[in-house]
Amino acid sequence: MASDSSPGNINGGPSSPDDIISSPIGNTLSSPGDSTRRKRGRRSTAAYATPPPPASSRFATPEGTPTLSSTNPRRGRRRVSTATPTGAAATPSSTDDGPPSSEAGDADDADETPPMYVWGTNISVQDVNAAILRFLRHFRENPSQTEGKYMRAINYVIEIEGDSLDVDAHDVFDYDSDLYAKMVRYPLEVLAIFDIVLMDMVSRINPLFEKHIQARIFNLKVSTSMRSLNPSDIEKMVSLKGMIIRCSSIIPEIREAIFRCLVCGYYSDPVVVDRGRINEPLICGKQECLARNSMTLVHNRCRFADKQIVRLQETPDEIPEGGTPHTVSLLMHDKLVDAGKPGDRVEVTGIYRAMSVRIGPTQRTTYIDCLHLKKTDKSRMQAEDPMETENGTARSDDDTIDYDNKVEKLKELSQLPDIYERLTRSLAPNIWELEDVKKGLLCQLFGGNALTLPSGASFRGDINILLVGDPGTSKSQLLQYIHKLSPRGIYTSGRGSSAVGLTAYVTKDPETGETVLESGALVLSDRGICCIDEFDKMSDNARSMLHEVMEQQTVSIAKAGIIASLNARTSVLACANPIGSRYNPRLSVIDNIHLPPTLLSRFDLIYLILDKADEQIDRRLAKHIVALHFENPEILQEDIIDLPTLTAYMSYARKNIHPQLSDEAAEELTRGYVEMRRRGNFPGSSKKVITATPRQIESLIRLSEALARIRFSEWVEKQDVMEAFRLLEVALQQSATDHSTGTIDMDLITTGVSASERMRRENLVSTTRNIIMEKMQIGGSSTRLLELLEELKKQNSGAEVHLNDLRNALATLASEGFVVVHGDSVKRI
Amino acid sequence: MVGLPYDCLANPLGAVRLTFEKAVASGIDPATFDGKDWGATDLFRDFLYENDGLSQVPTLNDSTIRSLQPNTLVKFRGMIQDMLGNEFYVGAYKDGSVWRTNKFADHSQFPIGSSSDMRVWERRLLYCVPVPGQNSWTESFCQAAVAPFANSTSPAREKRQRENDVDMQDLDHEFQDSPSAKRKREESVPSQSSNLQANKIGETSSNTGLVPDFDGNSFPCLLKMYDSPESDLKLNDVFEFIGVLTFDTELKTDADEVTELNNSLYEEELTHLPPSKVPRIHCLVHRKLAVHDFLSSPTMLEPKPFLVKGIRETLLGHLTAVLGNDGLAAQFMLLHLLSRVHARVDTVAVGKLSLNLTCLNKESISIFGNRLNLAIRNLVPFAHSLPLTIDYLNSVSLAPRKDYQINRLVSGALQLAEGTHLTIDETRLQTGTLNSTGVDNARVLKSLTELQKVEYDFTYYKMDMAADIQMLILSEGKSNILPADLVLPLRPSSVDCYGDVDPELLKAWRWYLATMRSLPHSIEQEMQKVVEDDLVAARQADRSLGSQELSRLLTMGRLVSVSFGDTCLSLDHWQMVKELERLRRERLQGSV
Repeated sequence: MASDSSPGNINGGPSSPDDIISSPIGNTLSSPGDSTRRKRGRRSTAAYATPPPPASSRFATPEGTPTLSSTNPRRGRRRVSTATPTGAAATPSSTDDGPPSSEAGDADDADETPPMYVWGTNISVQDVNAAILRFLRHFRENPSQTEGKYMRAINYVIEIEGDSLDVDAHDVFDYDSDLYAKMVRYPLEVLAIFDIVLMDMVSRINPLFEKHIQARIFNLKVSTSMRSLNPSDIEKMVSLKGMIIRCSSIIPEIREAIFRCLVCGYYSDPVVVDRGRINEPLICGKQECLARNSMTLVHNRCRFADKQIVRLQETPDEIPEGGTPHTVSLLMHDKLVDAGKPGDRVEVTGIYRAMSVRIGPTQRTTYIDCLHLKKTDKSRMQAEDPMETENGTARSDDDTIDYDNKVEKLKELSQLPDIYERLTRSLAPNIWELEDVKKGLLCQLFGGNALTLPSGASFRGDINILLVGDPGTSKSQLLQYIHKLSPRGIYTSGRGSSAVGLTAYVTKDPETGETVLESGALVLSDRGICCIDEFDKMSDNARSMLHEVMEQQTVSIAKAGIIASLNARTSVLACANPIGSRYNPRLSVIDNIHLPPTLLSRFDLIYLILDKADEQIDRRLAKHIVALHFENPEILQEDIIDLPTLTAYMSYARKNIHPQLSDEAAEELTRGYVEMRRRGNFPGSSKKVITATPRQIESLIRLSEALARIRFSEWVEKQDVMEAFRLLEVALQQSATDHSTGTIDMDLITTGVSASERMRRENLVSTTRNIIMEKMQIGGSSTRLLELLEELKKQNSGAEVHLNDLRNALATLASEGFVVVHGDSVKRI
Repeated sequence: MVGLPYDCLANPLGAVRLTFEKAVASGIDPATFDGKDWGATDLFRDFLYENDGLSQVPTLNDSTIRSLQPNTLVKFRGMIQDMLGNEFYVGAYKDGSVWRTNKFADHSQFPIGSSSDMRVWERRLLYCVPVPGQNSWTESFCQAAVAPFANSTSPAREKRQRENDVDMQDLDHEFQDSPSAKRKREESVPSQSSNLQANKIGETSSNTGLVPDFDGNSFPCLLKMYDSPESDLKLNDVFEFIGVLTFDTELKTDADEVTELNNSLYEEELTHLPPSKVPRIHCLVHRKLAVHDFLSSPTMLEPKPFLVKGIRETLLGHLTAVLGNDGLAAQFMLLHLLSRVHARVDTVAVGKLSLNLTCLNKESISIFGNRLNLAIRNLVPFAHSLPLTIDYLNSVSLAPRKDYQINRLVSGALQLAEGTHLTIDETRLQTGTLNSTGVDNARVLKSLTELQKVEYDFTYYKMDMAADIQMLILSEGKSNILPADLVLPLRPSSVDCYGDVDPELLKAWRWYLATMRSLPHSIEQEMQKVVEDDLVAARQADRSLGSQELSRLLTMGRLVSVSFGDTCLSLDHWQMVKELERLRRERLQGSV
């Protein structure tokens, strides 16, 4: 009972297609030449019933062999290829019926035999055969080509002596949707026929070609989710996405065994695997010897094939809430062995199969007999270099219709008039306010165009952003969010990062003693975004390493015999708390952030996120929180773009949109820049305020390019430039407002002290000097500080003077040797 | 439905078969049964809930496993610890001209003919464990219902005899699988008494030999679920499963058949969860359990206002006594015990209220820590406590982790069922260095307190799982590893022992906590305005108030009114929240 399920059953159902008529396909499978490496199991699929001797007895398998059942399907399949004698390609090594197809390679018309049908269906073997042949011969991607796509491919395979032909299922569908349907529904049979046809064609082109070429189907129309695989998918061709979590070691699988007689030394003929086992000859085959039980296996003359069992797990995004990922086993053969490593995201095409397990014949173990494996990584924005992707033509072929549809949708989206606002809204929707910061971050995500001049000079396209703000203004949340969204990126905390941890370091391999270069966070986030939290708490040493990265976009290493320059084309998103946990509006940004100006100027946008006591904002916050607690939270969601779409949108833009400056935009840029520079020289002021630096104009270009990208526009328009100016101004107005004059003052950023502040100090020093000159004699009695302050205030009726300011002024005078300061008293010398 | 022709308890499979045959007889094609029920679960549902069969179903646990017969109906309460994916099995097949089913069974009842027509169906495998931290008072109730029939089964000798019988048959079957042997077996099946029929083949292992591996806290069980929508069952949910218990046959090591392919393709759960150690239940009926289901008198009373108020007062008094006459702390403790995550908006878990009691040093923790633990254990169904030390943080893995070698989710201390109370004792934390495991653990703890999410480690990526755990942190100063919503210095004025608690009162308290926790809550338009104004005013006055603080105030408002059994926030309760907050702030300031 339990164990004696017949081999017919194991395939999982009455409609199971591997119960095909044993003969035609099996026979035709005769592999030409001795394929040193027998092809993967599938190849033999159809051949189930054709082990040389007991060929068609499949259905009548005696019940006495129950133990075999579980392995039968697979073994059986393998058997086929090995069973075939190493004859010429087209030799029909028929056991029973006449082979329909492989006669002298003339597969087109097999009319001399009665039509053969795939068992249990009305699919005619001849029809399929002809359909495949037609497809291979005549399929063209566009009508202008003289030679069919696959004819070229076959020729190419022959040329490079390859052993497989990749067949795009979409092509099959386009050419003959009926053939596609059959192929997906009855892959075992159809693929077997496919291979036969292929072999015939190859042998006609090059009769001497000895390798066995097989078709690898990929890119099915429909990709199944692992979760939805169900019994009805058994024995069908499926395509799955997932992540490899485990690879078994390579298992050598015997395909053909040779025995030697211990008595006479006679070598037996190769014994092929039959139903998963090798039938050891009991009697020596030599007529003169005939010794019993004398045969021993000769290992090094046997033929083995590689096999590997790989476990595929659902990708995180397919897992429903509250579930754990599903896994499925993949069976890899030959070339596919080690094609993927644990951790790779792949898309596999294969045949879903079930077989019974040892305990309980009612249970089934399922696996996928793998036909094709493709590494994918579409979940995040494409991190590859555009150059790289163009080289990988194989990959661009893979772009499915599905993908095209997606692109269409994205393009539609980009046509929306409010796409910029919409994207902004969709960015970290749970974070309150901060519209302009989000806009800046959006620009960072899209990025500008990197430019390399023929002279070798290069301009970065990455936008660096610094967020400085009061605690509790969701800076870290923003950072985390961006980190999640970015194509590739590292999130580090300044406190825990060292210089080498950020850039690169050299280690000695403990075993070989060789020096090895290990990449740090910045190098690892090449073409991504490196998020650095608590930037202010980073050690100066580590921070100084960022100078090179942020402008040159490289990391140079000269250490332990390795001199290297590594690419680190990364955008830096840093956030910092002001010195003393709250922002002190009296101090300049530099004093607040306490970062070296050299580093600061490398940020394109510096946002000050200040917690202003604005009742309006507070009220909105209160409303939001009350709603959060008492209303259905779903209602709060506005029309925002979901995360996957957002990522897709971004990756598409980064990959395909390379906006150029229009003349109008360039003009606006020039005008705006001049304006910015002029703004400092307002009438009545003699001080020189540097309003903008060349770095700013670069930033502006980058920002406007990013803004054009957001609209999927190939041209940077005037509006982009204006928005870029606005963004820069919003950021700068907050960060570089000179608190005494209210104008933008880049000196504040570059030197830490504003021009007006410098002037004020100078004024103060000279006033103090005058007072002292007036009131005190050289070597006379000392004066209290407070008295001096009173005097100063009298003279300087306009501006307020603080004791601190006075102390500073006195310190300047003391350094001139004009006065001596002892505690609270001042003495003129 | 009186006088059933079969015994749902002792021979559930017989009942399943009968319904199947009936369905087939009525002309329905068995092929259409895939993923559907033909009336079997309806029958059981009817039996369990309409005819009060539930109380007769024995509970499966480490103590009852010895006495339970395989292929009988059992009940198992547990948390879904891991999901092992789907399994295909031959669901229906043709035995000659008769359709048979294998649903709810490991083995086919009748031999599957070599050429028989068969249907492969699908079932889900769930790995369940008893709810972590389940308190003893909940179990006493569960065990009350151990069915009488398990004890009244035939004496051991007879049983053994029977098993030997079966063994013999099995041997027959394995070694000489001749038609005659099979016939013999087929004949022998009907000859056995009807309730033994279910016992048929396959039961080779003796019950007594199975058990030694079980201990109270790890009594795993493999559930095979049929026809349930995926969204029904979630990780860490607590369920009651009622189904057919089977101990599989021992793995037959059949030398002929050991092939590498089999070995490696072989489902790991079977090799790593040997049937002899993990019982299987073919689930017929399952139902999600709420805290209520763990109360001894599930349907106690209507939440009448005066009654609720009374219970509230006594409970508050009890908590005050436990906390050394610190009334304020008791107030907060009550709110804390009532909290639950009732909504999630993006990353914000709304409704959580973790409490950090500070000013506990080594001496006082030994008194109050133990007292608190005891008191909490007596009040909530699931409670867990974690003593935090450097060594502990460095050595264990708190978050669950997927082990790809055995393809299982390895549980961590933080894989807890929804609504579990977690006490973390930070007072024993010394200064020291955390290794990478320790840092990870600290991070996991922090994200649990802040977001109510536990990051499960899947090696190649991490996955956040939502949790709903009441966190109580005991520490000397404010805990920075575990940033709780509420920080309150404990000011005990006495360390007197408090007397024993009346069991009836305990019951009332449990009922109170369970019921009040699940009350819905809303807010009136006017009240909303008041609250908003108050929040704005508070924020204008103190800029350090962030959205978290405001959110916490609202949570407290909700909990205060819920603690009175009200479903709507009233002005009084809102005032009370503000007063509580003021007192807390005062105390915080005083302690600095």
